[in-house]
Amino acid sequence: MLSRMIRSIALCWLASLALFTSPAWAHGEKAQQPVLRMRTLHWFDVDVSARRLDVGQTLVVKGSFVPSHAWPEHVPSAQQTAFLNIGVPGPAFVRLDNRINGTPGIRSSSFKAGVQYDFVITLKARTPGRYHVHPLLNVKDAGPIIGPGIWVEVGGSAANFSNTVKTLTGQEIDLESYGLANAAGWSALWAMIGLAWFGYWLSKAPLVLPRFRRVVELGNDRADEMITGRDRKAAMLTLTVTLLLVLGGYFWAQERWPINTPLQTGKIETAQLRREPSPLTVRMDEARYRIPGRSFRIELTVTNNCQSTVSVGEFNSGNLRFVNAKVLQAQPRDQDDLVAPDALRVDGDATIAPGQTRKIVIYADDAMWETQRMTTMITSPDSVIAGMLFFYDAQGKRWAVEISGPMIPLFG
Amino acid sequence: MTALPHPDQPLTPAEARRVDAQLDWVIIPLFVLLLGAVFSFEFALLVGDWDYWIDWRDRRWWPLVTPLALSTLSGVFGYAFWRLLRIPVGATLSILALTGAAWLSRYLNFHGFANFPMNMVFPSTYIALGLMIDCILLLTRSFFFTGVFGGFLMGLLIYPLNWPMLAPFMVPVEMHGMLLTVADTMGFQYVRTAMPEYVRIIEQSTLRTFGEAVTPVTAVFAGFLTILSYWLWVWIGSLGVKAGWLRKAV
Repeated sequence: MLSRMIRSIALCWLASLALFTSPAWAHGEKAQQPVLRMRTLHWFDVDVSARRLDVGQTLVVKGSFVPSHAWPEHVPSAQQTAFLNIGVPGPAFVRLDNRINGTPGIRSSSFKAGVQYDFVITLKARTPGRYHVHPLLNVKDAGPIIGPGIWVEVGGSAANFSNTVKTLTGQEIDLESYGLANAAGWSALWAMIGLAWFGYWLSKAPLVLPRFRRVVELGNDRADEMITGRDRKAAMLTLTVTLLLVLGGYFWAQERWPINTPLQTGKIETAQLRREPSPLTVRMDEARYRIPGRSFRIELTVTNNCQSTVSVGEFNSGNLRFVNAKVLQAQPRDQDDLVAPDALRVDGDATIAPGQTRKIVIYADDAMWETQRMTTMITSPDSVIAGMLFFYDAQGKRWAVEISGPMIPLFG
Repeated sequence: MTALPHPDQPLTPAEARRVDAQLDWVIIPLFVLLLGAVFSFEFALLVGDWDYWIDWRDRRWWPLVTPLALSTLSGVFGYAFWRLLRIPVGATLSILALTGAAWLSRYLNFHGFANFPMNMVFPSTYIALGLMIDCILLLTRSFFFTGVFGGFLMGLLIYPLNWPMLAPFMVPVEMHGMLLTVADTMGFQYVRTAMPEYVRIIEQSTLRTFGEAVTPVTAVFAGFLTILSYWLWVWIGSLGVKAGWLRKAV
């Protein structure tokens, strides 16, 4: 009976171990409200320089984002303070460089609605493993707005990793270990002095009950008689050593590292690249989401001021890419890449001739609406959606236009 | 095998002394563990990131917030140890326990589990501040003067005490045309997804009367606040010691 119980407990323990040590399948992106994913940042062209690399090799993450014109009023905006970050599990990589439109993104910045920002994040692999690498933008008071993720596998050995920088005083240091022995040494020295003080009182053991009884016996007013002249000398010595060591340590450090600066912070202004204004204007006339069919029907009025005929190739919203296979060939790069290669359909004639203004109806139909928990958009207090439409001409030239407007759910 | 004494038979002085010593062996380690756990929890809530990361220990907020948090258990347990046992170890012991727990947590959690380099997350040292409080309490035998002198020194000296550990991380570095310290460089390079640059509270306040003298102004201000905080927590300690349940338990 007992052995059966022990076996059952062991089995449960092993099962729970297997459960908790399985790889993470998602990183919270699905948990974010659809309104945050669809109406804050539009991420596109996100890619990595390698899917497999070794410790010490560099990985470049590139892409673009556009802060939405439809940014919800109740969510603090990236137009105030934001920081381009990278979503990886801890310091599996070190970040060597962060560029947004060529501006170094070491500090926080602000990003204007409707402006396209091209980013390049250069990382160096530090720890072996398989990581889902996402760009993300931390927005002050709003939290992280995560971009599309790509799986990257890092091989090699963490023991081979080093991370050196050169200080302005000309010293080359390895950030993996710099200053630790010094910090541990000082900490140990103070711990020894503290333990010596505690040890002095422990040497009077037995301590707790005899001293408690004596305090009760003498009463609070006379209990000071328990403090001996030796105690006072020990206290005076300890206090003197402590004060001298604090001051001595300070002056020693000033002597040893005379050139130092305070911690640096602040905001920088990110450059805006000069881009040709979009020759396309698009108005979203109506958007209806049919819940049972997982189908988004969007009516648009498009004016084409390009020199060439264009067609809708892609609708991108909340990091989900719905592709019109007749215009664009795009395949998922891995099992978690949110690309539906043939899920965008245009009703009737999909082309818009130069100078033409016409209404078109597009359908973005895919189970991703459900599997990526986008259907909870119907519970939003502000039922508005937004996304990016990508138009292509016959030569493959691309124009991106943001659309946004109210959404009506259809329940039957 | 020796026979057990009869329950009614009084203990000899040697036996009584042995029982007292054995009780010390049980109570003191348990109490140190308790202090470490309680202080770690309280310190995580009140100081948290200011002590976790090397690039958070600025000249204004870290030396202001930290002594206020340190004075809590130093005041409460300092009073209790002095009032009940006449031993001036409350501040030192609580900070020693905090330091031990902090090194353990940084090594196992931050370094071992989350994989941050240990030099980015090592705990600061505060033991000297506890020693000053305890020694001044013994020499003055007054919580009023311990607050005035010890509390003030606690706030005043926290920065110079830690400067030998911090100074190497304040050496300047140029990165992509920007001036950073070594600590800032580590904060940028070692990715913290949930901790963007703007979250750090670096010298945000209006204490700028004396121009560049940020550290001394903060140190003096922290000293005055710590006097008040120490007195407050000593008073709370005195309420705790008066508690009827404690006397019944002892």
